[in-house]
Amino acid sequence: AAEPWPENAALYQQLKEEQILLSDNASSLAVQAFLQMCNLPIRVICRPNAEYMSPSGKVPFIHVGNQVVSELGPIVQFVKAKGHSLSDGLDEVQKAEMKAYMELVNNMLLTAELYLQWCDDVTVEEITHPRYGSPYPWPLNRILSYQKQWEVRRKMKAIGWAGKTLEQVLEDVDQCCHALSQRLGTQPYFFNKQPTELDALVFGHLFTILTTQLITDELSEKVKNYSNLTAFCRRIEQQYFEGHEKDSSTIAARSSKRSLLR
Amino acid sequence: MAAPMELSCWGGDWGLPSLHPESLTVMAYARFSGAPLTVNTVNNSWRAPKGDLPVLVSEDIVISQPAKILNFLRKQKYNADYHLSAKQGADTLAYIALLEEKLLPALLHTFWIEAENYCSVTKPWFASKIAFPLSLYLPGKMSREALNRILLTKGGPPLYSLTEVEAQIYRDAKECLNLLSKRLGTSQFFFGDTPTTLDAFVFGFLAPIYKVCFPRVQLQEHLKQLPNLCRFCDDILTCYFRLTVSGHAPAGQDTADANLQKLTQLVTKESNLIEKMDDNLRKSPQHPPRKLTTLKLAAGGEESNPMSRLSP
Repeated sequence: AAEPWPENAALYQQLKEEQILLSDNASSLAVQAFLQMCNLPIRVICRPNAEYMSPSGKVPFIHVGNQVVSELGPIVQFVKAKGHSLSDGLDEVQKAEMKAYMELVNNMLLTAELYLQWCDDVTVEEITHPRYGSPYPWPLNRILSYQKQWEVRRKMKAIGWAGKTLEQVLEDVDQCCHALSQRLGTQPYFFNKQPTELDALVFGHLFTILTTQLITDELSEKVKNYSNLTAFCRRIEQQYFEGHEKDSSTIAARSSKRSLLR
Repeated sequence: MAAPMELSCWGGDWGLPSLHPESLTVMAYARFSGAPLTVNTVNNSWRAPKGDLPVLVSEDIVISQPAKILNFLRKQKYNADYHLSAKQGADTLAYIALLEEKLLPALLHTFWIEAENYCSVTKPWFASKIAFPLSLYLPGKMSREALNRILLTKGGPPLYSLTEVEAQIYRDAKECLNLLSKRLGTSQFFFGDTPTTLDAFVFGFLAPIYKVCFPRVQLQEHLKQLPNLCRFCDDILTCYFRLTVSGHAPAGQDTADANLQKLTQLVTKESNLIEKMDDNLRKSPQHPPRKLTTLKLAAGGEESNPMSRLSP
């Protein structure tokens, strides 16, 4: 833990153009934003089997030195152990608030994204199944995506989201965005001058929602209703991702299901 | 607004109006906002426990989850949050998410999965509140659902066994309690001097941990080290639930009271008996004084008064 950050640190996620889904992209972008904010260089490597390589089964994961850490929470702690932290300047009450808001985002936004991807039949048929299994030949692609769908649906049932309709899920997203918008207010970041892991997490999710084309635009419309949230995303994108985004400007094909926020 | 509202929920024990966190949250919110609810505690009736308590019934509308019930109450103008700023409303939502993610798994574990707790306290208590055939099935079903929920949300790799998952969820729960304690600080409620939705939720989750007497109590011990949270629960119980506490005296206090009553009855009986004996002794008191006088006379001059002894 006392070693400095190596030059060849790598972040693994699924293939950006064909395979990655909304929720995984959001998580990956959140981690990338966090590392950018800490000024730690990292390369993004896309692999179709990233999910299986990860120690916890979830993307993204980072490979630093000879350690592999996955998911934003453990990555934040790992980076803190190396001596870099964004939330040191916060007092105890603010830290409690930050953790609470991160749970809110995970609880509502991430679950809503998972619901939309895996429990809404239209989206599942047209977007998720083709994308999720795209690197694999038939019948493996169908088998893997059905397996994942069954797993996600079980989890939704256990936490009580299986009975919700799409409108209710969108309502919840709206409520969550409303809360985030109220908390952000007119400040540049959630805890005034300095960005923290909460800003990275919120950016990851909101930016992905705003820039991913789905069957309908209802989800991104919910976020666009809050102008301070869109301004927040644009600000972080400009500040931390200007250099990296240049490759995505070459993407124009409609089949990539991605549109840019410009 | 005038429509009568009826809430069906699990009953209470150990000084609490209800043992079920969600029922407790709804009851607390109703008290804070002044909503006139008639509370039906479930006991031995077939209709009520469909596994989905608490349930609010108002005329024809049936609402079942705490968040929806609270929304309904707010629409009926029973709002405990009207004085909160928008930012505080946002904070409420965030802290409720924190409670559900970090504290609820450990709460479910303590009640339903920890073997000693479940077998000696939870199962008998719930089974006694449900009608006969269902009481054999429903507690087991609730326990399985709780285990399922914990494993699906918290049990993925790299945690591979139930003991590792348990260790993780208890760590998370203790951290959550610490965060709540820091946020509460020294104020009486989370947002100043009047209780709000967040106070209802926190009370609903903390009070069962604090009051129910389990054999395995690591979470309760941790909670007792955070005196401001304990004070928070006690305050709400005494201020908002005092009628219920005296009306539905919990089993422990009941037996103590009954014993006390018996004891006082015995004592009063004994004292009555003693008084009677005293009276008897005074009423038939002739013998002892005469005996004394005859003895004295006898002592004084025996041969002079043989006649007086023979004629008392």
